[in-house]
Amino acid sequence: MVAGSSAALSVRGLRKAFGAKVAVAGINLEIPHGCFFGLVGPNGAGKTTTLGMVTGLLRPDAGLVLIDGVEVWRDPVEAKRRIGVLPEDLRLFDRLTGAELLTYNGLLRGMPAAVVEARAGELLEVLGLADAAGTLVVDYSHGMRKKIALASALLHAPRVLFLDEPFEAIDPVSARTIRGLLERYTAGGATVIFSSHVMELVQRLCDRVGIMHLGQLIAEGPTEQVRAGRSLEDAFVELVGASHAGAEELGWLGTWSA
Amino acid sequence: MAGHLVSLKLALLRNGLRRSNWPQQVALALGALAGLPLAFGGFLLLALVPRAEPEAGLLLVEVVFLALFLGWGLFPLLSFAGDASLDPSRLALLPLRPRQLVAGLSLAACVGVAPLCTLVALGGAVVGFGTLGPGVVLVVAAVLVQFLLCIVGSRALLTALSRQLRSRKARDLVIVLVSVTALAFNLALQVGARLAERLERADLEALRPAARVLGWLPTGLAARALVDAGEGRLLPAMAELAGAALAVALLGWWWWRSLDRVLTTAEPAARQRSRQPAGLFPRSLRRLLPGDQRGAVAAKELRYLARHPRLRVAWMVSCLLGLALVVFVALTEGLQRPWVVLGSLAMAFLASQNSLNQFGFDGAAYWTHVAAGADPRGDLIGRNLASAVTGMVTTTALALVLAAVTGGWLYVPVALCLGLGVLALSLGVADVVSVRFAYPLPDDASNLWAVQGTGQGCLVGIVQMVAFAAQGVLLLPLVALVVVGLVWWTPALVLACPLAVVYGWFLWRVGLGVGTEWLTGHQPELLAALSVRRAA
Ligand SMILES: Nc1ncnc2c1ncn2[C@@H]1O[C@H](COP(=O)(O)OP(=O)(O)OP(=O)(O)O)[C@@H](O)[C@H]1O
Ligand SMILES: [Mg+2]
Repeated sequence: MVAGSSAALSVRGLRKAFGAKVAVAGINLEIPHGCFFGLVGPNGAGKTTTLGMVTGLLRPDAGLVLIDGVEVWRDPVEAKRRIGVLPEDLRLFDRLTGAELLTYNGLLRGMPAAVVEARAGELLEVLGLADAAGTLVVDYSHGMRKKIALASALLHAPRVLFLDEPFEAIDPVSARTIRGLLERYTAGGATVIFSSHVMELVQRLCDRVGIMHLGQLIAEGPTEQVRAGRSLEDAFVELVGASHAGAEELGWLGTWSA
Repeated sequence: MAGHLVSLKLALLRNGLRRSNWPQQVALALGALAGLPLAFGGFLLLALVPRAEPEAGLLLVEVVFLALFLGWGLFPLLSFAGDASLDPSRLALLPLRPRQLVAGLSLAACVGVAPLCTLVALGGAVVGFGTLGPGVVLVVAAVLVQFLLCIVGSRALLTALSRQLRSRKARDLVIVLVSVTALAFNLALQVGARLAERLERADLEALRPAARVLGWLPTGLAARALVDAGEGRLLPAMAELAGAALAVALLGWWWWRSLDRVLTTAEPAARQRSRQPAGLFPRSLRRLLPGDQRGAVAAKELRYLARHPRLRVAWMVSCLLGLALVVFVALTEGLQRPWVVLGSLAMAFLASQNSLNQFGFDGAAYWTHVAAGADPRGDLIGRNLASAVTGMVTTTALALVLAAVTGGWLYVPVALCLGLGVLALSLGVADVVSVRFAYPLPDDASNLWAVQGTGQGCLVGIVQMVAFAAQGVLLLPLVALVVVGLVWWTPALVLACPLAVVYGWFLWRVGLGVGTEWLTGHQPELLAALSVRRAA
């Protein structure tokens, strides 16, 4: 137990292998409070696996995770009180309506029913889901599912928010709403950690970024420092090493069929 | 082009066989097993009866043809979601004209198990009515026209409805319909067999008008053409055949038009009708359920019971079973005894069986509980509460109905007490089993019989058997007490009431304790068991 740790999230030697496949190969990471942190990396880099282990959903093979100084895998209940999660594959209790799903989440967390009701109403309003509050989640579009899941993650006002690809499949207006909401949230001292494939957005939003590749954190630090003058996308491609295969092989793509 | 679609269909069939896991293969084998007797039964019926009973011949053929046509119309509707080759919109991106598609899809539709079985059955008619001479050509033609009627009609209907069929509501409805239809079909067969036994020659006369009406349907025209050709009346046969062929052409045209519409117009956006937000708790239960995590879980379970097609089917089937029991008791001589009311205990036991995998329905959505750090004990209690509510409601209902039939009102409170005990005890066992041996149920509601490929189907079966046996053993003392009460010493029944409740309560607490203890700290493991990766 590291008491009085000032980091919102601190990770040491985190490791996970699926059979012979090493998905996360020992990660160390320290994220201060109030930080807007972007986790990027190519497909299969291990971002989702990392976020799963950090949020107590997926048991790591080795390593230590501290949230706000609380060890996630030793005191999960206390740690989970402080975090909100938006996972990548949005499996929800989708035979509930949006409003019911929020109530359900709140009561699962042991919140008083009245508080849940009030906050749920506000969240639905802000996220533009008020009209769909009485619709079964199974009938929601992908973006709406993402928004209702985000609302569930925010319901208990967590100190640290983990979002796996929150901006994918979200329309521009909603994306701006969510962005504003998250920025206000971090300004208030909360920490947001999210993964994304939209470099331009990460560059604009995040104070710090981490670049994952093949299960390792190959670069991590303040965004300016990681970018080092380039755009984040260029830095990413350079660090990960763009494969040049394909450019010549797919030559036939230029020959139009009649 | 048509060749491509035929080989696509063959490839789908082949892959369906190769890639599926053993339950699917068993299901396919069962399908074939059901199809073959039907095919050969149809063959024999059409081949033998007309020779033996000439009067019945025409009516029989008319009925069989109509049944085939309706079967072809209905069955693909039910399996729509499961058969990729049935959905025309999946071909929308291919650069094909509807005319090409109709030709190709028609040919593709003729490939498969069902068309083969249909052809075999129809082959019986050729044997049954075929004559030497020119008539035989018309007989074969009539059979082929009937075959085309089935295929083109089925495709046309399917295409016209394909858009509606893809909506979630329709699919939910279809799933419920399938199960009810299966039961109803069974019932109809039984009743039909009874009626056929009673059918005397004189009754055939009475059926003549029915035969006349059926004779003017397209399938009836084909049937009449067949019979007329077999008896040498070639001219009327040709006219009737032309009529049936015209029907095929009309259906083909309808199909073509629908296909054109499906392929060229955009899908209308799903309209979202919003119901009034009612809150998580069903109004009737707001008093009964605690307003905390336990109540929330119970309320969610009950909402699912009302909203998920699989669960709807499950409770409808158990209600039908209860109904069957009542009918059986009412119709059987000497079964109207008061103690028969205790038969309602079956409901309590049935209701607890779903709990053996009570997390299975959550599937990967269970992450919600893990992420929320939900209290395992409250979680289990909530689920048990929902099962107890449904179990007690069905048990009470059945006990009351049985009491009304048999007059055994005195046994109703006994049944309720015993029911509570049985439920509690079974739920105690379930609380242990369900956390240790959870497996995901397919969330996809499209195929009622699908079992997720967990690669542990056998283990699941064994675990369920063992759990079942454990429940049985734990029930033995209660059963013994009830038998003593019924046979030798009636006060034992009175004694059994409080004993059952206390015994059940005790075992439930034990099971709940063991389940909670394991689940605390193992929620991620349960989540892993529930979220099987599709391509692992
Ligand atoms: N449950 C699992 N079983 C086996 N392998 C897994 C499992 N989960 C992840 N993997 C593997 O671990 C690696 C990392 O996967 P992960 O989902 O963490 O990547 P990601 O960075 O989130 O990718 P994406 O950007 O596509 O979401 C991949 O190679 C994946 O195949
Ligand atoms: Mg991912």
